[in-house]
Amino acid sequence: MSRLRIFFSSAIFSFRAQFSWLNPPMWLTMKFALGLSQMAFFVFVGQFITNDPNVISYIAIGNALQTVSWNTVFSVITITGHDKWDGTLPLLITTPASRLPIFIGRAMMHVLDGMLSVAISFVFAIFLFGVNFANADLLALSIAVVLTAFTMAGFGLLIGGFSFYFREPIVLANIFTFVLLIFCGVNFPIQELPQPLQPISYAFPLTYGIDAARKAIAGATLVEISPILGLELIVGLVSIAIGYIFFQSFERAARKTGRLEAV
Amino acid sequence: MPPQTLRVVYSAFRMAMLHWVADPQWVIPNVIAPFVFTVVALTLFKEVSGPFALYAILGGGMMGMWGNTLYSSGFAIEFEKWQGTLEEVLAAPSNLMHVIAGRSVSNALMGLTNMVAILLIASLGFRVPLGVANPILFAVSLVLTLLSVSALGLIFASSFVLSRSAQVFTNGLEFPIYIISGSMFPIALLPFWIHPASYILGPKWGIDAIREAASSESVSLYFWENLGVMILITVIYVVTATALFKLVEKKARKDGTLVQA
Repeated sequence: MSRLRIFFSSAIFSFRAQFSWLNPPMWLTMKFALGLSQMAFFVFVGQFITNDPNVISYIAIGNALQTVSWNTVFSVITITGHDKWDGTLPLLITTPASRLPIFIGRAMMHVLDGMLSVAISFVFAIFLFGVNFANADLLALSIAVVLTAFTMAGFGLLIGGFSFYFREPIVLANIFTFVLLIFCGVNFPIQELPQPLQPISYAFPLTYGIDAARKAIAGATLVEISPILGLELIVGLVSIAIGYIFFQSFERAARKTGRLEAV
Repeated sequence: MPPQTLRVVYSAFRMAMLHWVADPQWVIPNVIAPFVFTVVALTLFKEVSGPFALYAILGGGMMGMWGNTLYSSGFAIEFEKWQGTLEEVLAAPSNLMHVIAGRSVSNALMGLTNMVAILLIASLGFRVPLGVANPILFAVSLVLTLLSVSALGLIFASSFVLSRSAQVFTNGLEFPIYIISGSMFPIALLPFWIHPASYILGPKWGIDAIREAASSESVSLYFWENLGVMILITVIYVVTATALFKLVEKKARKDGTLVQA
């Protein structure tokens, strides 16, 4: 019971903490503007070379799913940065509370926030860029979105855990939010990447999530996309486990050396 | 310009460069997005012929300059707030505009470096020939565009002083500016009601001039028109930024809400 309480406390406080530097109207503006402008940028780049509606749909859907990473990767990694900047890291380290619910809980509100971002982006994709959802299997699509948000939060925790060793986690937040645009089949199929780079794509849960969502929008059922979702779940869980190991080893090193913020 | 003004500008420039040397990792957020966008565009364009590669590669470089300006304008103020040095900077008898101008020169220098880095990496990685038809006019238009980007950065910086969300503005403005500046595609693709927003961006005219100088040995009147409009807009930016800084500084001193803002 106490673990559950810690989990929810960690989730709520980590989310609320971002409003120390971000006011709610700005958060709402960003929620709408960021997804739309990112999608529009790449759609216009696509329209520059072709009028093929399939290419435009491909790009719009990919970017709609990728918006989840602003919440689940960028925001989750910056929690580590703010722990260091705002002086809350020593309090976190000295608390007797169980570490696992603290660690996983801090990303959970961002999972919900990420799902909301994707939903808003889908609305833009339909009404502004003419993506056809007529054949979509909504159950399969919803589960693909939920799982993508959850597993990408796992990826955010992995990099967030790794970021404890860096003075400026926000630098890693930038790198890992943007490289997803290259590796995850957001704007072009991963087969377009040079062959030696293609295996890297499968380390990101987003690659599976985008693939599953595209198939669900085209009409594939939950059963048909379940193998992809299964792989996505495995990658997400492995990410959380590795991130937690980083977090624990950081805590040990921090206690041993007494250098918390600058380990 | 009086020697004491030059000294302030130089000191601010020197401090900005020292900060960068002390913590060079901050160059990554400046270049990562433009670099990634260039790679994505070049991958999308690789099967097609025409001016696409030129758009992608010069557009990527241009976005590198933009990214640097946005980040340095947004984070310069945020960084001062975090460090607790913003009050000292404002309390000093030096004109705030001169301090920010010194930083802008250093940002412009970094922006140029970013652009060259993106051009080289994209060109080597994708084997896109980087031939410039008219190197002299290319260099002239590039430097003037850089100044225009920096002047726009001054306006951003003045607005960011009063905001506690400068970092959010920085991230949120990145994509819209890349879109309306037509860095990676012609603005003709955009809805017509967005065009006025593009026309008031000096660097929009700059990138058109840069493309013209890169692709034609003897430039047309179009090149000079673009350059002229950009210079005019840049002058307006500087005048506006000067007025804004005075206004913002006065408001911050009067309300005492500088760091809490």
